[in-house]
Amino acid sequence: MKEKKENPGDLLQGTLDLLILKALARETMHGYGVAEWIHQRSEDVLRVEEGALYPALHRLELRGLLSSEWGTSENNRRAKYYALTAAGRKELAAEAEYWRRMSGAVARILQTA
Amino acid sequence: MKLELLNKTRLRLAALFKRRKLDRDLEDEVAFHLAMRAEKDRAAGTDAKAAGYAAHRQFGNVASVKERSREMWTFSSLEILWQDIRYGARMLRKSPGFTVVATLTLALGIGANAAIFSMVDWLTLRPLPIREPQQMTFLAFSRPAEDFNDNFSYPEFTEIRKQTTGVFSDEAAMVLNGGLDGLTVDGKTQPLICGFVSGDFFPMLGIKPYLGRFLLPSEGAAPGADPVVVLSYRYWKSRFSGDRTIIGKKAAINGHPVTIVGVGPPEFLGLTPIIEMQAYLPLGMAVVDTGVSRSFLTDLKSRTLLIFARLQPGTSVTQAGPKLAVVGQNVVQQFSRTEEHGALFAKPLRPPGIITGQNPIPRVSALFLSLAGLVLFLACLNVANLLLVRASARQREMAVRAAMGAGRGRLLRQLLTESILLALLGCGVGIVVGLNLTRAMNSLKFQTQWPLVIDFRFDWRVLAYAFGVTLITGIFVGAVPALRASRENLREILHEGARTSTGARQRLRGVLVASQVGGSLALLIIAGLFIRSLGSVQKAELGFNPQHVLNVSMDPREIGYSDQQGLAFYKELLRRVRALPGVQSASLSSAVPLGEFVGGDDLEIPGYKTSTGNPQPHAYCSGTTSGNLKTMGICLLRGRDLSDADQENAPRVALINEAMAQKFWPGQDPLGKQFTRASDPKHPVEIVGIVNNTRNIQLYGSFEEYFYFPFVQDYSPSATLQLRTEAPPETMIREVLGAVQSLAPTMPVFGVQTMTQALHGFNGLLFFEIGAVLAGALGFLGLTLAMIGVYGVMSYAVSQRTREIGVRMALGAQPNAVLAMIARQGGFIIAAGLVAGLFAAFAVARMVGDFFVGVTSTDSITYVGVSLLLSAVAVLAGYLPARRATRVDPMVALRYE
Repeated sequence: MKEKKENPGDLLQGTLDLLILKALARETMHGYGVAEWIHQRSEDVLRVEEGALYPALHRLELRGLLSSEWGTSENNRRAKYYALTAAGRKELAAEAEYWRRMSGAVARILQTA
Repeated sequence: MKLELLNKTRLRLAALFKRRKLDRDLEDEVAFHLAMRAEKDRAAGTDAKAAGYAAHRQFGNVASVKERSREMWTFSSLEILWQDIRYGARMLRKSPGFTVVATLTLALGIGANAAIFSMVDWLTLRPLPIREPQQMTFLAFSRPAEDFNDNFSYPEFTEIRKQTTGVFSDEAAMVLNGGLDGLTVDGKTQPLICGFVSGDFFPMLGIKPYLGRFLLPSEGAAPGADPVVVLSYRYWKSRFSGDRTIIGKKAAINGHPVTIVGVGPPEFLGLTPIIEMQAYLPLGMAVVDTGVSRSFLTDLKSRTLLIFARLQPGTSVTQAGPKLAVVGQNVVQQFSRTEEHGALFAKPLRPPGIITGQNPIPRVSALFLSLAGLVLFLACLNVANLLLVRASARQREMAVRAAMGAGRGRLLRQLLTESILLALLGCGVGIVVGLNLTRAMNSLKFQTQWPLVIDFRFDWRVLAYAFGVTLITGIFVGAVPALRASRENLREILHEGARTSTGARQRLRGVLVASQVGGSLALLIIAGLFIRSLGSVQKAELGFNPQHVLNVSMDPREIGYSDQQGLAFYKELLRRVRALPGVQSASLSSAVPLGEFVGGDDLEIPGYKTSTGNPQPHAYCSGTTSGNLKTMGICLLRGRDLSDADQENAPRVALINEAMAQKFWPGQDPLGKQFTRASDPKHPVEIVGIVNNTRNIQLYGSFEEYFYFPFVQDYSPSATLQLRTEAPPETMIREVLGAVQSLAPTMPVFGVQTMTQALHGFNGLLFFEIGAVLAGALGFLGLTLAMIGVYGVMSYAVSQRTREIGVRMALGAQPNAVLAMIARQGGFIIAAGLVAGLFAAFAVARMVGDFFVGVTSTDSITYVGVSLLLSAVAVLAGYLPARRATRVDPMVALRYE
């Protein structure tokens, strides 16, 4: 079966994946933490529909880019923590490079126009 | 990429077993998120309720998120399949009437196919139960005129074996004397079929005895040496009811003492097809009064051996070919096998065993498989049509599902799953049907003295075939309605509701009906040809009168009588039987017309030149006593009858039939002419009388050349006492058996039947009857299915048009005009089907034309008769619903829907 197309959210799928990988590059986090991180870093510019985060997390896990573990949160709740795997780091580097080139190109086009 | 796949598989496998846990984890994860978000908002001063709502709002559709995640880690196709199956099962349960009818229809088709295939399996596929059967071959010389000659003399066998050690790993010989031998145990003698085999026979086969031992390689090399016998499992079971103490028991073969040393394995029936080999003795034992020459181990001309050979591992028959051809040339020269011009070759020994002459089995198999396939095709059409009707009823359901987002592929899958489910149900019931059919066939009793085995089984091949056929059936049956259903215009259906069927659907239904008529016509024509063949052989001019004749067969040799003793016994028996009241005449014959024992001889005829390439003159023959012509009702046309004066030492004489007279003495008077028999070249035979042609070997074709010689001049221990009786012959059985017993209390009598019963044997009507019954049953099944199908389709088609018909009649159309309108359309469809069926039947019949006797494959009576019958049935099946339609009250029709 081919996978269903993701719902078009506020963010492109690839972008969301990249943001998640970036969020997890420093430390392990649970899903809520990732959402908060994105909000803070983008100063609420990128409004992630928070639900969309989870299928993305699970898909990345399936692809072997993330690993997960159940743990206890800072306020003593059961929470699922995600961490970047080696493959995930590689992917992050590649995606980030690609994104830089893309945004640079788009910016140039917009300037010249 | 690989990692992803691995991960997916692992997760999915885990998901299959830990579905609950994963679901709960997902639940927890989402709950955690919502709680954290709400907590944060509350900390910022929002009240608890509003914070909860806000968290949800920000999160989005919880259910959809869960669904998307869940989909990721499931074997979605497997689960969807399971869903479809459950849904399909529910749908089938919901309409039990439809389910039962469809299941039974398919069960008949699949059952018939499984039963026919079990026959084909046994006759062509099931390997012989021996070690590596694909390496086994038997040897033969090819012949220009006939198929091949597989008879060898013992010296030839030893020579061939010596020269072919590089080609074959094992070689063994077997004598089949073509008759029954008597096995005496505890004073009781029973006839049975024995194979006399060289010592390496069983090692070559690589099978293990069930009890005791097989023959040893050292046994059988000398005449009369090693008096031991191995019984077949079935014979041991039936005669000794599985008595294990039988091993080591003293017994006698044709009066000669032997010891029972072993019992063969249960599944091994021998290397001959259809007839079971019931006992094995060492080759040298073939000299104990079995009709085989006493000197056959040294005689160059006594060619009574079959040679079996196992190819060296890794070699094929083709690879062995050149080497064998050379050996063959040597043998031809060394042993002056004059009649052969062909080469020695190895023929693969394929199931069901050694077959000499033309092997009709593959074509018979193909024919009956096709006929059964045709029946299944008709059953499929019926069910497809039922599904089509249901598909119209379910249009709305499909449309709703499609509107809810189910793709076309998904709907197709659903429908196909349902039809395959239905086919599987049919398969289950069909296997039960088939099992019963094969059981019935296995237990058929035949008019024969031979140990005929029919061993149809439902082994894995048959089940696999049935299953394969079922899948095809399911897909075929479901595909048509499924494709159509999923192609409908959703909006239109949802908008208007299921009302009138579209033109395309009507056309499809027309094709279904036409196929049904065509298919059943082809089936019926083939069945008709089989039945007409049987009719023609039943009506065949026999040349003798089978009424009021009783046959009693026996063989004094089986209890060790010498030739003199046997002759004396027969002479006295005849005297006593002739004296019985109610016996008009009595005589002995070494071979009964159309019986299982057939005598024949090559002839030397002075003045008759054989054209080059043709075999030596040959005629069938039997030894008879005086009175035979009277008993059998054969006419002496010229000359004199055989008489009691034609004694053993008197000049050899014979009666010949007209066919023989015409063949060998055309335009001459054969009376007084002489010929010599290859079996007795020293004594010329004088022709003393000419009799009318009789059916002796087979019921069809031209009459065979045949001659009768005095019983005493070429004694055959195996003979049939024949009586012409005044009363029905069955009433004389007790007295005749009494006469035999009073003369020789231990004499085994193995064939007691009236001559009319005997006509149903192997060489008589048997195969025609089997053919007619099988084809007739399939034809009848096909006709029934077609009738139901046409009726069903027409009923439905008419009911769909009730409204239109109502309008027409409200506008003043006469019932007859409406009827005519429907009839025109139905008639056209039926006619199209008939034409297609005629062509199909013609094509099939031409391929198997030689199976039919007395009718040609284009027999106009069959074609026209069956066409008329089928059109009558089809018209009737269509007329009834049409008439019902014209009775409809226009108002009712208009309010319909």
